Amino acid sequence: MRISLFNVTATIEHGCRGFQKLGSSSFQGETARLLGAFSQIRAASGPSKGLLPGPYPQTPEERAAAAKKYNMRVEDYEPIPDNGEGYGDYPQLPDRSQHERDPWYSWDHPDLRRNWGEPIHWDFDMFIRNRVDTSPSPVAWRTMCKHLFGFVGFMLLMFYLGEKFPSYQPVAPKQYPYSNLHLERGEDPEKQPEEVKHFNI
Amino acid sequence: MGAHLARRYITETETEPDPAKPFGFDPEFGFGERKEREMVASQAQMNLAQVPVLQRDYCAHHLIKLMKCKRDNWPNFLACKHERHDWDYYEHQDYVMRMKEYERERRLQMRKKRVEEAQAA
Repeated sequence: MRISLFNVTATIEHGCRGFQKLGSSSFQGETARLLGAFSQIRAASGPSKGLLPGPYPQTPEERAAAAKKYNMRVEDYEPIPDNGEGYGDYPQLPDRSQHERDPWYSWDHPDLRRNWGEPIHWDFDMFIRNRVDTSPSPVAWRTMCKHLFGFVGFMLLMFYLGEKFPSYQPVAPKQYPYSNLHLERGEDPEKQPEEVKHFNI
Repeated sequence: MGAHLARRYITETETEPDPAKPFGFDPEFGFGERKEREMVASQAQMNLAQVPVLQRDYCAHHLIKLMKCKRDNWPNFLACKHERHDWDYYEHQDYVMRMKEYERERRLQMRKKRVEEAQAA
């Protein structure tokens, strides 16, 4: 089964000491939930009870404990507002993708641009470098919009004017023999075409 | 180069001819005697030579000569300079005639306008 295989791999990878606090966005969390359906059953490889996310902190002591759990300073720790969606005491981290982090700093995990033990955003899997990018645009958004729509609008206007006032050479239309190639154009051979005369000039 | 566009759209919008519309004046007007254009290649000959429809104009006989020369001399693509020059020259003459027709139409329009203004005055 997929879950148990991953648990074995995770155990081998992380060794027996404390796990990284992957929060509830991990397979271990999924395992906990699945097995938690049968109450009080947890795999031995998952995080210990004290490391799992808990209910929304009510007292300052609970806040301090939650901050310590998530490896954050008490001043920095701010839980996601309790609106009934069940985030519990998970911290509210800024919605910034990994693209915005320093590419030249020697991160513990250079691909993820993250250090060991750092608190993980709820949508971390969305903010990896292959996915959503929140980095600022090189020029202000308004300027980009103005430039693009200005250019497109100008081109539309010019094409419209080109239709209304076409450019042409000052020559009469080309003259063709045999009544403007009446038969060659595939018109009715029975119908007598109107007489067309062309002259030298 | 482009003076006709300025005339047509800005300065002389009534008298500058529009090539999309047929020219209305009598072809013989102003000429003593006008020679008709002569078509040398017949329809059957053009059909046999498989000349493209848009090239079946009054220079088609030169084009047919050129096509024959090219077919006979392939792969020597430098062999038909004389025929090509002939066809080019007659196409050029045709274009010059088109320019003259346009200018004739323009002058007739201006004359018409002058006549109308003289009559109104």
